[in-house]
Amino acid sequence: MDINIVGPKVFWTIDLPFEVPILGGKIEINETMVISWAVMLIITGLCIFLTHNLKVEKISKRQAVAEWLVELADKFTLGNMGEKFGNFIPFIAALFSLSIFSNLISLLGVRSPTADLNTEAAWAIVVFIMITHQKIKAGGIGGYLKGYTQPIVFLTPFNILSEFATPIGMACRHFGNILSGLVINSLIYAALAAASAALFGLFLPEAISSIPFLDVGIPAFLSVYFDWFSGVMQAFIFCMLTTKYISSAAEG
Amino acid sequence: MSNVLFLTENQELVSFNWTFVAQICNLFIQVLLIKKFLFKPVREILAKRQAKADADIKEAAEAKEEAAAIKSEYEQNMLEAKERANEILATAQKNASEKSEQMIKEATVQAASIRQKAENDIAQERRKAVNELKGEIGSMAMEIAGKVIEREISEKDHEKLIDEFISNVKA
Repeated sequence: MDINIVGPKVFWTIDLPFEVPILGGKIEINETMVISWAVMLIITGLCIFLTHNLKVEKISKRQAVAEWLVELADKFTLGNMGEKFGNFIPFIAALFSLSIFSNLISLLGVRSPTADLNTEAAWAIVVFIMITHQKIKAGGIGGYLKGYTQPIVFLTPFNILSEFATPIGMACRHFGNILSGLVINSLIYAALAAASAALFGLFLPEAISSIPFLDVGIPAFLSVYFDWFSGVMQAFIFCMLTTKYISSAAEG
Repeated sequence: MSNVLFLTENQELVSFNWTFVAQICNLFIQVLLIKKFLFKPVREILAKRQAKADADIKEAAEAKEEAAAIKSEYEQNMLEAKERANEILATAQKNASEKSEQMIKEATVQAASIRQKAENDIAQERRKAVNELKGEIGSMAMEIAGKVIEREISEKDHEKLIDEFISNVKA
């Protein structure tokens, strides 16, 4: 049996009249993008559902959940970053919700957008720009550049390396976890299908025994770790690192 | 411009392509969406609730203040009323005692004047009675004397006798 672990499916290709360096000359609308849009629709739909018909008194359960979410986002962001970072709250909330829903949507049997390094790279580069912006804001462009020569000039290349290691590390950590879940899930499905065929092939005709009975139910237990725990954990870690990096950058 | 729909080809497992740009855009779009559809309405309602709570607290404080004012006013009024009642009572008592004293005094005076008058009247009556008696006794004495000693006493003696008798009576 062949187990083929590949990138996202390409649904549509738009050829650009010009070549863009690195990105190439054609835009491929792939699984990652489409499922990301679905995730965004789910998140936004959930927000609208939770916040319609808000009341000042005698609130519904929906409203209680909406208020709890907002307070949670406030507490998480302000608690990790400090009171002056109030305008980062929607960003952190969007990042967290995108990450967690992208991770968990694999439970529906589709490919997670986060199983594509482009997604994490996009988030990490945004975070990296924010970190750099905060550093420059705190110390000025001179102070920012001078920071690379600290504590001695000799360490400058390593400082530059460590600076870029931050977004790369964040992106790869998240991607690696989700991808490993995807890979292991694929392996488990394939292994269980093979085991199922072998087991039921002993006493059933091939037409029936080729149905992978063992694939029903058993992978769900493993998805508790690989999808649920890992998915929630990675979303949390990514946002935690984002808040910590940005706030420590602002301290100079 | 576009190729075949639903190609079954896959991208490389790790490749860098336009998805990167799309995901950056998606992130910012999601920030805006979550801001507009979750944070803005919830913050608005929280602010409204905060305002309402503040207003309620303020109202309660005002009501309490008002109640305290009313209470102190009431107490003040009660105190005044009490004082006034005491005053009225004191005045009434004073008036009553004054009046009774005056009445007693008047009564005493009146009694004294009545007594005086009575005494005067008695004295006058007595004098009157004495005078009447004097006249009557005089004429009676004269008559009796005339009858008793008609012939033996002269006119001269007669008068002398009367005078003597009167002065005796007087004494």
